Amino acid sequence: MEMQEVPYLEMNHVRKSFGSLEVLRDISLTVQQGEVVSIIGPSGSGKSTLLRCATLLETMDEGTLSYLGKSAAIMENGCTVYAKPAELDEIKRSFGLVFQSFHLFPHYSVLKNLIDAPIHVQKRPKEEAVAEAMALLEQMGLADKADAYPHQLSGGQQQRVAIARALALKPEVLFFDEPTSALDPELTGEVLKVIKELAEAHMTMIIVTHEMEFARKVSDRILFMDKGYVVVEGTPETVFRSQNGRIQEFLGKLQQP
Amino acid sequence: MKKKLCTLLSALSLGALMLSGCGNQGAGNDADTFVVGFDAEYPPYGYMDDNGEYTGFDLELAQAVCDLEGWTLVKQPIVWDSKDNELNSGSIDCIWSGFTIDGREDDYAWSVPYVDNSQVIVVAVKSGITDFSGLEGKVVGVQAASAALAVLEDEEQQKALADTFQNLQEFADYNTAFAELEAGSVDAIAMDIGVAQYQLESRGNDNFMILDEHLNSEQYGIGFALDNTELRDTVNADLQKLKEDGTFDELAEKYGLSDMVCLE
Amino acid sequence: MTFHVILTELLNGMLLTVGIFALTLLFSMPLGFLVSFGRMSKQPVIRLITQFYISVMRGTPLMLQLMVVYFLPWYLFKIPLSSFWRFPAIILGFTINYAAYFAEIYRSGIEAIPKGQYEAAKLLGYSRSQTFLRIILPQVCKIILPAATNEIITLVKDTSLAYTLSCIEMFSVAKQIAAAETSMVPFAVAALFYYIFNLLVSFVMNRIEKQMSYY
Repeated sequence: MEMQEVPYLEMNHVRKSFGSLEVLRDISLTVQQGEVVSIIGPSGSGKSTLLRCATLLETMDEGTLSYLGKSAAIMENGCTVYAKPAELDEIKRSFGLVFQSFHLFPHYSVLKNLIDAPIHVQKRPKEEAVAEAMALLEQMGLADKADAYPHQLSGGQQQRVAIARALALKPEVLFFDEPTSALDPELTGEVLKVIKELAEAHMTMIIVTHEMEFARKVSDRILFMDKGYVVVEGTPETVFRSQNGRIQEFLGKLQQP
Repeated sequence: MKKKLCTLLSALSLGALMLSGCGNQGAGNDADTFVVGFDAEYPPYGYMDDNGEYTGFDLELAQAVCDLEGWTLVKQPIVWDSKDNELNSGSIDCIWSGFTIDGREDDYAWSVPYVDNSQVIVVAVKSGITDFSGLEGKVVGVQAASAALAVLEDEEQQKALADTFQNLQEFADYNTAFAELEAGSVDAIAMDIGVAQYQLESRGNDNFMILDEHLNSEQYGIGFALDNTELRDTVNADLQKLKEDGTFDELAEKYGLSDMVCLE
Repeated sequence: MTFHVILTELLNGMLLTVGIFALTLLFSMPLGFLVSFGRMSKQPVIRLITQFYISVMRGTPLMLQLMVVYFLPWYLFKIPLSSFWRFPAIILGFTINYAAYFAEIYRSGIEAIPKGQYEAAKLLGYSRSQTFLRIILPQVCKIILPAATNEIITLVKDTSLAYTLSCIEMFSVAKQIAAAETSMVPFAVAALFYYIFNLLVSFVMNRIEKQMSYY
């Protein structure tokens, strides 16, 4: 057997129900270093829940989860068992998440949003955190907004700050949960541009999105989910040319608003 | 937030200062202190004088007793409704406050009676009321938990008279009652004669008068907890000494109570 | 009594009023947090106990609570009371009452914070206490400020209830002077003092509110 690289993210046979509603039915997902994976599908298909399970915001009913070979959850006697809190804290450092509605801290300035966790969680020196935060803001085109407060920014600017905030902790994997869904159409471009730049820099990313054209351009791999299953998985070309009825239906709906 | 905390902390130091203010003199109830519970709104027996100090016939008498015994007097103003709680729980040593014995004979260890008191009715002169029959259908005020109220509610005393009133209105203090009498919302007030005389003198005799008929006559004593006869006996003996050396009569004279005192 | 004496005596009473006010705030505001955590606890027993506590504190007169706190040691355990207990009892009575009200105010503030704030903090690696102290609490403070101001102003006036336990704060002083002077003027002066006190409180709270309005 060939020596394989350790995947950055590995989820196997994940199941999750809310009451009697089965949201995830046996989902597996492996993401290698530098890969950009998009997850698409109609609403209610379980994409966001999958993301929340991967980022430990929800617990899985069944399945395993590991980052860079370190297990966050394993199966024991048919049940998912999570690692100890200290280990989970360690694992949490390897990923970041950008929310649909930003969730910036409103009482902190843009700069403080970026440096507070590095300083108080990662215990890094303040000067270093500030310098890195300013570099990130520069990269996002928001250097002049360092002292502004979130409510003074447009949605697109806020989302870029949120991306910078996640990046400030230097994650190995970055998740996006419909990062442009809460934005006015004219503001989505500036956010997508930033994500695209990150992809070009080979950031490992998992993106839940409705922006089909964007997913097609930026992704190495696309998962189409429906009703808790991964219906089709493959390169953008494979997925968009798939003859699967549900994909056709889904893409068709998107094209005729 | 920090600023707010700062303000609060500085207030805390201030609050420590208050500890003295609330128990008023704040002394504990040890052997050398004598804590007298009194109604501070009951002149001339206990009230605040021109210098803001508590004084009155009863309090000066208590001070004289303390001088004899070498005790420190603690003047503890109390809410009249809570007098029994205060006494039973030990936060005061006695109730010394123009305190009527009649009707409460079995409730306290009583000192010798030292004032002959009557309950009287005060009316506004302009009301034209001159005797008890004039009170029919009128609103009469009385202090809550007072001896006057007890008299008016007692079948064997003046219940029959009270039944002719339109309403027996209870007040927390005499000042409010007199304000209502002046305003005309009550027509008469029932109270101790000593208090009535003080009120009339202070407010000017022209507007108010005391009806000649008295509701009853009764006596004032000092009330101790039932199991505290030892202290009661000490105070009794001291009162006798004060009578003999003339202090008692001097004080009665000073507070205009010479006609009423009854210590032999 | 000269007007000067009346003013001096009322000011002395005011000192006590301010003391009750400040100490009550000092103790009830932190205690309120504890109670609000109990109220929002996942443990049904703790939640029910705090809920009951709050309902009793809000559902019975403060005056009665003060009397219970003061006289309970005697009636329940036959511990003789001393004058030293009077002031602590008043502070304790006010504190447990106001803690209940503050707890509900805090709860309203804490529950108004979007879930996303907790999730964002969690993803960024904040511990539970860091999340509360750095992220949630500062936002709660801003949300609850108007309601807290209301409560604090009410407290200024409620201090007069201390007279129930024969604590001679400003209102009791006013009553006593009024009795001795057979006059209503002391009440007018007392009213003015309360009003000025509350003007100051409003001024301070407004300043704090302004300071927090940067976002």
